[in-house]
Amino acid sequence: MSGMINSLYNLRLLDDLAKKGTSIHRVHPLIKLLTTVVYLTVVVSFGRYQISGLMPFLFYPVLIFALGEVPVLPILKRIIIVEPLIIGIGILNPIFDHQTFMFGGFTVSMGWVTFLSIMIKCALTVTVALLLVATTGMDGLAAAMRMLKIPKAFVLQLVLTYRYIAVLLEEAARTLRAYSLRAPGQRGIHRSAWGTLAGQLLLRTFDRAERVYQGMCLKGFTGEYYTGKSNRIRIIDLFFLAGWISFFVIARIYNIPMLLGSLLTGVLN
Amino acid sequence: MHMADALISPAVGGAMWAATGGLAAYSIKKVQSDMDEKKVPLMGVMGAFVFAAQMVNFTIPGTGSSGHIGGGLLLAILLGPYAGFLTMSAILTIQALFFADGGLLALGCNIFNLGFFTCFVAYPFLYKGIIRQGYTQKRILLASMIAVVLGLQMGAFGVVLETLFSGITQLPFSTFVLLMQPIHLAIGIVEGLVVTAIVSFVWKERPEIIERAALGKTIGDISIKKVLTGFVIMAMITGGVLSWFASANPDGLEWSMFKTAGVEELEASDGIHQTLADIQSGTAFLPDYGFKAPESETASEEAAGGGEEAWPTVSVGTSVSGFVGGFLTLALAALTGLIITRVKSKKGRVAA
Amino acid sequence: MSHHKLEAKELHFTYPDGNKAVNGISFMVSHGEAVGIIGANGAGKSTLLMLLMGVIFPQKGEVIVGDVHVTKKTLSMIRQRLGMVFQDPDDQLFMTTVYDDVAFGPRNYKLEEKEVEERVLKALELVGILHLKDRSPYKLSGGEKRAAAIASVLSMQPDVLIMDEPTAALDPKSRRRVIQLLKSFKHTKIITSHDLDMILEICERILVIKEGEIVADGETREILSNAELLDSCGLEMPFSLQDCPLCGSQKQSLKKLNS
Repeated sequence: MSGMINSLYNLRLLDDLAKKGTSIHRVHPLIKLLTTVVYLTVVVSFGRYQISGLMPFLFYPVLIFALGEVPVLPILKRIIIVEPLIIGIGILNPIFDHQTFMFGGFTVSMGWVTFLSIMIKCALTVTVALLLVATTGMDGLAAAMRMLKIPKAFVLQLVLTYRYIAVLLEEAARTLRAYSLRAPGQRGIHRSAWGTLAGQLLLRTFDRAERVYQGMCLKGFTGEYYTGKSNRIRIIDLFFLAGWISFFVIARIYNIPMLLGSLLTGVLN
Repeated sequence: MHMADALISPAVGGAMWAATGGLAAYSIKKVQSDMDEKKVPLMGVMGAFVFAAQMVNFTIPGTGSSGHIGGGLLLAILLGPYAGFLTMSAILTIQALFFADGGLLALGCNIFNLGFFTCFVAYPFLYKGIIRQGYTQKRILLASMIAVVLGLQMGAFGVVLETLFSGITQLPFSTFVLLMQPIHLAIGIVEGLVVTAIVSFVWKERPEIIERAALGKTIGDISIKKVLTGFVIMAMITGGVLSWFASANPDGLEWSMFKTAGVEELEASDGIHQTLADIQSGTAFLPDYGFKAPESETASEEAAGGGEEAWPTVSVGTSVSGFVGGFLTLALAALTGLIITRVKSKKGRVAA
Repeated sequence: MSHHKLEAKELHFTYPDGNKAVNGISFMVSHGEAVGIIGANGAGKSTLLMLLMGVIFPQKGEVIVGDVHVTKKTLSMIRQRLGMVFQDPDDQLFMTTVYDDVAFGPRNYKLEEKEVEERVLKALELVGILHLKDRSPYKLSGGEKRAAAIASVLSMQPDVLIMDEPTAALDPKSRRRVIQLLKSFKHTKIITSHDLDMILEICERILVIKEGEIVADGETREILSNAELLDSCGLEMPFSLQDCPLCGSQKQSLKKLNS
């Protein structure tokens, strides 16, 4: 139940955020999508022993947060929800990695470095993906997908799924509420009701799909999905893309923090 | 069991993207050639149903634990394999975008693990094989159970392979497998029971829904074979090209971006590299991929700290600069954000 | 304007399970008329609407819009002239934004995007939700959803509006707004509802349906004040025509009718 309410809240939040009109929101959806994909690829391409090199990649999400006026807390919450899975896979690294290094007089397993590296990568990739949605929205993403020549039937289906998640979540929540009111103290659905409860919901879904189909037919739908023209890509969008990609590439090739650090420690010495 | 972006390398992510992209394109062609325009809204709304139903927990009597429905097989049973696969793809795309369940790069892996094995392996070969003689209560149970459990096992194994090929975790192959498979066996049995209950119900109330899905969509051996061959070729080409980039120019900075740093060191522990190398030579999956690191690198690894190329943070001197610089960058990024937010809110106030 | 008339001739429709939902219904609606179709649950109202729209086809009889018979071949043309608003707006608003939903129909008829935009904005303005054009349909209130659903039909510029329970599940203010909106339309209107007060306000003519047949066809006030007829059809006189529940005095309007 709480999962459904959370999901609904989350959808609404991202949808609200996407309706803002900041400079980041105005960047063309396709450009944002491409920038995000390059970002993710570059971040993920870092070796598992690298940490400092990842730091410059904080700049992109930080700037999007700030310029796009995206609240930080809800996004951080999502990261915290996702991290346990990552921890589950990464936590054993310190045990299995037999290499060690000295840090401040302690012998530390290299596994901890890899573990930390995974955690940072996870935080960065999750944040940037959510920021894409929070500044673009489903309709923007659908437009970007159409420009990438992804078949319209799939885009339409995706848009429909997105649209009806809210409806179905509410319907499922109502059904669950009705169930739990008459079955106090149960954590889930009892075995005897599995088939009928989920099955009824399923049959109602089929009926709804039929009505939606009729609704589409009455508006002249014949299997082809026509969309309006997408916005043009402006020069400034191209600058956005080129600027960030060059930054990502430079930050990938040169370990900027390391250079900074050696400069600083070198001066100190 | 959604894979996250942080767990995969670009080569693995790219190869799986290509594979699922090809599968999806083929499925769309198949669905469209059915000339059933009803399919699209049905797939859309059914995707939303599975999404919502996955949040409904079913208690397992006597254990106190609970499970939820599996999407892939149920969709294949209700919509046919091609539409089922596409619907699963849409669900996973939305989960990746809006809920950070699995990432964008890992989307190919996730669709493959949760969609391909259920719709294109478990459904046609296991489920349909058993149910061919006609629907009965017993056969629904048997077919759903076997198909869900094995489909999930394959998916879990996919997660293991993809993670290991990405070189992110240092878990030895055997340990990882022993961790993943039994957990997903338990999950699979619960899912199998739930799917059985739902399919039985629908079969009793509205048998035409299930019959319609099973009919028409002739998933003959030829087309499924085509799908499989297509997938293998696609994955081999992409994987090959990407790993060629990775291995052909080991020192070139241009290609270091694609270099899945870490894969070379995968053999650090136990006999896992041997196992993988065997698998690799056996299947020629990702040809040319450098699992076996060059002698020199292995040597430098043993020297622990010598290999600057591989792990810049290792030697004490560099690790200190790394720390200082890292924190400096972090602070700088935070400061930038703060300043922009300040300036923006001030501007807003002035404008207001 | 004979081409705006809508005619049903001896319609028969039986569902596969043997339920005779529509059993020989005939009527004619002329241009600009507002007709209410009332009847108990399961009387066959929804089936009748679906027959009119060509969602299903009658086993016997035919529907004629203007001079055109409703057949599979003429559907595309028919549906441009008949606009139907569903009972549940969630079934009719399926895109990500209100704008795209209202534009869905015109785009399917391959209009220029410029023309589409004009129509969408005009339709949204007409129902008074122009400011909601970029919102997601699932975030609208019940009344706003209804308005959006109506706009999504108006953008097709139909001659005839067919509505299934347009005031269902609306709060009193939203209901009032929808009624005012419907009254302001010059279209030919066919409305099914259990909200007889609304029917009384909007429609001048009523068809009463019982067990798939028309049992009464006539002037609204006359039918809605015929308690006996309504009762036999599982209906009840609208509140605005009933005697005052507090003092028992007769309604002015009814007195006039009775005298």
